[in-house]
Amino acid sequence: MASNPIDLKRRKFLFSAGAGGAGAVAAVAGGRVLLQPEAAVPAAKIPIADRGYQATEHVRNYYRTARV
Amino acid sequence: MARMKFLCDSERCISCNGCVTACKNENEVPWGINRRRVVTLSDGVPGEKSISVACMHCSDAPCMAVCPVDCFYHTDEGVVLHDKDMCIGCGYCFYACPFGAPQYPQMGTFGVRGKMDKCTFCAGGPEPDHSEEEFKKYGGNRLADGKLPLCAEMCSTKALLAGDGDIVAEIFRGRALNRGKGADLWGWGTAYGKEGVKPKSDKAKEGTS
Repeated sequence: MASNPIDLKRRKFLFSAGAGGAGAVAAVAGGRVLLQPEAAVPAAKIPIADRGYQATEHVRNYYRTARV
Repeated sequence: MARMKFLCDSERCISCNGCVTACKNENEVPWGINRRRVVTLSDGVPGEKSISVACMHCSDAPCMAVCPVDCFYHTDEGVVLHDKDMCIGCGYCFYACPFGAPQYPQMGTFGVRGKMDKCTFCAGGPEPDHSEEEFKKYGGNRLADGKLPLCAEMCSTKALLAGDGDIVAEIFRGRALNRGKGADLWGWGTAYGKEGVKPKSDKAKEGTS
């Protein structure tokens, strides 16, 4: 019975594609990991505790209307 | 640092009670308590005046001086606030206040006097800003939102002024200079039949023609 040796050269493409795919997945995952903290920054707003009077646009507009 | 002040222009107040309604709605004030109310002087007499009254956030507040548990405090902007957790409802502040600002719930059993309630200049209380406890005890906190008390903002004739005391005084001074006072006021002759009194603008026109 003749043995049929497997030619692995033909599968190099698959190996390289697999490794590349894994790398891409890792890169995407890594990117997500890197992106997550950035995305979380706007969600964690500056605490608005104990803020008092502020001369905001709203307040300035009130003063303007009161001068009429 | 700006000092928060109220000022009611009695020449403009039309006694509509819009400020009272706005306050009650914004702060969900319970029945029997009026943090703000409109008082009419010489009611029914020609020349009657109405003013909107609430806590005036005194710089040297008598309520603060007489409170036996020292529950009052000034904010950095000069707003007089109190801690309801410390208040014992003794009523001293009510007797001390010349404006009748401190209010007490009267709906309890046997007329029990509850925690004092008063105008907060829409600045909440000692609890964290916009917290549930703060709203429950003291009402809204518009100052932290960069706004002013709703009573003043809702005033249709801009009679009730609120905000930085320096700016409020400057606005009122401008009005007084522009309109004069007493019988010089625009519309005085129409309202009260004083002949010969004309608005300044008409006098100026006559002078130029």
